[in-house]
Amino acid sequence: MYWPVRLASILAAVGGCFLLDALARGVDDYARRLIVLAGIWVILSVSLNLINGITGQFSIGHAAFWQVGAYTAGYLSVTFHGKWGIDGLPWMILMMALGALMAAVAGLIVGLPSLRLRGDYLAIVTLGFGEIIRIVVQNQKPLGEAYGMNVQPKFQTVWLVWLMAIVCIAVCRNLLRTAHGLPFLAVREDEVAAGAMGVNVTQVKVTAFLIGSAFAGVAGALLAHYEGFISPQMFKMEQSFIILTMVVLGGTGSITGATIAAVALFYLPERLRDAPPVTGAALLGGLIGTIVAVVLVKRTVDRFHGPKIGAATRYIGSVVAGIVLSLALGAGFGMIPKLASQSFEAEKLRMVIFAGVLIILMLIRPQGILGTNEFSLDWVKSLLRKRKAVEA
Amino acid sequence: MSNLNRRSFLSLALGALLAGGLVVGCNSGGGTDNANKGPEAPAGAEGNKATGDTIKVGLVASLNGDLRPWGLDSDKGVKVAVDEINKAGGINGKKIELMVEDSNSSPEQGKSATEKLISQGAVVVLGEVASGITAQMANACTEKGVPIVAIGATRDDITDIGPNVFRVCYQDRLQGPVMAKFAFDELGLRNVALMTDKKQPYSTGLSGSFRAYFEKMGGKIIDEQFYESGQTQFNAQLTNLKAKNPDGIFLSGYFNEVGPIVKQADQVGLKNVKYMGGDGWDSKEILATGGKAIEGSFFCNHYNDKEDRPEVKSFLEKFQAMHGGLPGTTMGALAFDAAAVVIDALKRCPSDDVSSKTLAAALHETDGFRGVSGDITFKGHGGNPPKRALVVELTKDGQVFRKAYEVTDFPDL
Amino acid sequence: MDLTHSLLGAVDFGLLPQQVVNGILLGSIYALIALGYTMVYGVLRLINFAHGEVFMLGAYVSLFVAWGLGFGPGPVSPDQTSNWVNLVIMLVASMGVCAAVGMFIEFFAYRPMRNQPRIASLITAIGVSLLLQYAGALFLPNSPPVPIREEVNPYRANVLDVPLKPKSADLLAQTKQAQVALDEAERTLKDTVAAEGIKSEFDLSPEGKKVRDARNAARTKATVTQNAYDQSGLSLRIPYGQLIMFLTSIGLMLILRHVVMNTAPGRAMRAVSLDYDSASLMGVNVGRIITLTFAIGSALAGAGAMMNATFLGTPLTTFFGMQPGVKAFVAAVLGGIGNIPGAVLGGLLMGIAETLVVWVGYGDYKDAIAFVILILVLLFRPGGLLGSAKVEKV
Repeated sequence: MYWPVRLASILAAVGGCFLLDALARGVDDYARRLIVLAGIWVILSVSLNLINGITGQFSIGHAAFWQVGAYTAGYLSVTFHGKWGIDGLPWMILMMALGALMAAVAGLIVGLPSLRLRGDYLAIVTLGFGEIIRIVVQNQKPLGEAYGMNVQPKFQTVWLVWLMAIVCIAVCRNLLRTAHGLPFLAVREDEVAAGAMGVNVTQVKVTAFLIGSAFAGVAGALLAHYEGFISPQMFKMEQSFIILTMVVLGGTGSITGATIAAVALFYLPERLRDAPPVTGAALLGGLIGTIVAVVLVKRTVDRFHGPKIGAATRYIGSVVAGIVLSLALGAGFGMIPKLASQSFEAEKLRMVIFAGVLIILMLIRPQGILGTNEFSLDWVKSLLRKRKAVEA
Repeated sequence: MSNLNRRSFLSLALGALLAGGLVVGCNSGGGTDNANKGPEAPAGAEGNKATGDTIKVGLVASLNGDLRPWGLDSDKGVKVAVDEINKAGGINGKKIELMVEDSNSSPEQGKSATEKLISQGAVVVLGEVASGITAQMANACTEKGVPIVAIGATRDDITDIGPNVFRVCYQDRLQGPVMAKFAFDELGLRNVALMTDKKQPYSTGLSGSFRAYFEKMGGKIIDEQFYESGQTQFNAQLTNLKAKNPDGIFLSGYFNEVGPIVKQADQVGLKNVKYMGGDGWDSKEILATGGKAIEGSFFCNHYNDKEDRPEVKSFLEKFQAMHGGLPGTTMGALAFDAAAVVIDALKRCPSDDVSSKTLAAALHETDGFRGVSGDITFKGHGGNPPKRALVVELTKDGQVFRKAYEVTDFPDL
Repeated sequence: MDLTHSLLGAVDFGLLPQQVVNGILLGSIYALIALGYTMVYGVLRLINFAHGEVFMLGAYVSLFVAWGLGFGPGPVSPDQTSNWVNLVIMLVASMGVCAAVGMFIEFFAYRPMRNQPRIASLITAIGVSLLLQYAGALFLPNSPPVPIREEVNPYRANVLDVPLKPKSADLLAQTKQAQVALDEAERTLKDTVAAEGIKSEFDLSPEGKKVRDARNAARTKATVTQNAYDQSGLSLRIPYGQLIMFLTSIGLMLILRHVVMNTAPGRAMRAVSLDYDSASLMGVNVGRIITLTFAIGSALAGAGAMMNATFLGTPLTTFFGMQPGVKAFVAAVLGGIGNIPGAVLGGLLMGIAETLVVWVGYGDYKDAIAFVILILVLLFRPGGLLGSAKVEKV
């Protein structure tokens, strides 16, 4: 890219962060907290995407690196803050760097066995590693055991979080745009073939783990200093699954997808707080209706080889059929007094929805919503071109 | 190829440098205000003010998740108190508007819920039943200058988080020693073993305070074994314990695991051993899971519904009338007390200035409020009222009151 | 030497045999669950993450059956007695429902994924697992967690005592004497309480307290002598419930082995696991064999769940299957995934390892040991103990 363009985009990104910070001052604390946490989830999702989506190393223990970063930064802040003669932002940068370093070391430790393992074995090793980290932290007195620890000083800025998110996105994106990035994709597509073509598979895998976990560590440091309190509870296995859902939903390999999915999936449960309770009847109706819609859509995708427009119509038709069925079934189940009287807080459906999204997505679009596409002008242009070709 | 490599790397490095430089530049220049905003001084936080003809009170309860039985009871208990005052015409003509948020038994969501309540104008936040969640909530409240009244958070250092963190329950600092004293003086135990749930901060804290006091009295803690909530088979730990000849075992965890542990201890062959625990035992289920083996065990609780005091009776009547049943756990009574203490303090606020600030001041003045779980006094005690603690025995028919301890029984604490 | 001493200083070697037995009892449940993982992995190369949830559902089925048999959540009438028939009904129901659930999951979630990359099916499996946990939490009784009542287990009071070394007769006499003294002291105390006209022994006058102290001393003495007697010999204590658990597990494993090695469907199963495509070319109905595999694996999980919930008295939540599920998977990998005797061996080793960690006094790291073992095994012997690492052909 021509350097003025690059410079301009960097300036625009940094400026955007400060603009967001300025805007966030206008909203209440609750909304500001959501903005900050959304930024942290974006870092987590994009960094896991590098390991999972781009390099194809199936890791389901990302929360462990997050935890390592958070506890490193938290512990050092509590122990050494004020003794090294730096404060404020430089201190925060130092903490982020150290958090990233420790998380990267952890990433290296997990990355090394991954040289010999692939696919599901690696998944279970990362899961196990997450559990080991949790148990070790839980048994350390200086780290507050299961209770957790208070982190001082707090550092609660919107711009820093989002700046780090943008840096994370930029690093991943630029990596892929270069010759350094191509081996990552090659390893994802076919490890053996990549090795045969002279790619140093070992180096690629370890690098992916190093960079990915380092950014998770940064996210941890940010979280620790934003919340002012960390506990093992905050980094449960469930959190790893949520990060995974974000990556998978967005499209494994798509940085844009990972970003959008992180914001969407983080925001959705918070919206659910205000949603009215759902009756058991509506829930069951919705579930069955969704299943039917998914099966219909799946059939459309699998069997329909006609013109694109026809497929789209059937696609939409299937979804509409699903909705109609959900409503009809919901009304039908409403006749059963037990189901009608049962009511669930919408918020409780959070993980059910996450799980449902995972399954449905895998059934009808295993590559995720965006697939491996990135949002860019070129992509939009190519979409339009395709549309024209179809019409012609 | 190599050219492309170098260029791309350069641009990457340039990007990072630029970002770093800008960040540092901001700090030294116009961005000072950002950097200083970091550690927010609670002194500047003003909290909320009641406007219009309602006073907004927030409640965070574990309506879902592991703590659900206690969360539901705390929700019901608070509603009884709020309903009572609203039916009586409110406070100086102002009705109380109760806003309930679910913490889903998770600290993180508890904090989100708290911030949401505060941003919606709650002058005070009530909750939670567990220390881990309360700590997060207290952080959020302290930042915003809103007082918080914890319902069942017994961990000692909760009230150190801020000046306006209150609780209506006793502390582990008392609960551990109460059981230690009871074990040493009344049960005559000298060699006690501990079983601690490493996953629960409540359990590790309680084990610690029991151990400290029991050893101070001259007893011996002969062993400590660990488990994690969710474990189902405890043979290994119990076999180790048996070899140490304990005459009592203090189980500081929650009832879910305590029941099976005691049942399996019986099978392992521990005989003539007294089992003891803290308020985490408080539930109906423990008798079902512990079976015969757990009958005759003792634990520490906040109040007993068979106590012969007018507050207890009237509370139970009101609760029954509103919810059509008795509270399943002590948290119902404690939640009622938390709400009642707040209402009592609200009455003492100047009627034209009901705000977080005046309410906190009024709460600090609370003296000898007659609660269901005993008298509550914040005056001169910060957020930790000196509370009574009861030792109850588990029998076939439920909890039977055995002995009450006051804070004054422990002059050396 | 010094290090060993400080590490193992508190270890009582006399407990080793008992702890190994404890480990085997624990491991037999892991082994049952691990069999399901290993079979599914063998034929499909898929980690069935939802297997732990099938286990959880099995426990709930036993709970509902127990309720149906009259051991409901409310008070149980004293004349309600249980016998082994009840247990068998619960076991069969649990196994049957689990088999159905396993087939259902396979049909709706995994079968459509057959032609997708393996990672996609793995994510589906995680999705199914989360869905069962959280959707189950909406409809099944889980808060507060519900236990199966101990009354349903007729053998709850029985313990098998296997003597390895005879106990001291002297100490037996002393124990009996101490017990008599304790009973005597209890009686005196009761009389004193009655004489003072108070409700309980905690309101005694100073004189009464002396009586109570004497009782307490007698109780301590009884405990100490009892334990000394127990420890003077060497014997293994196995609660009947856990013994039944162990024997049933072994029995089911032997049946499974027979089915896989000596029957036509078993042969087909082995053929599919060896080479999916060739098996289908050779006339094996692959779809049906996969369904059968899921059914058998899930039924074994159901058996494990019923016994675990009934004999150990664990309160049930819908997250009940998570921990044992993950550990059983580790056990399957440890023994060599896809290998049936390997799964059993892995399960038993896992159980023993966990127990021994507690035995040497590191109970707080008990749950980490499973994963440490897993990582070590995968690093040094990726195929597992009984498996063989396969080289991927291009």
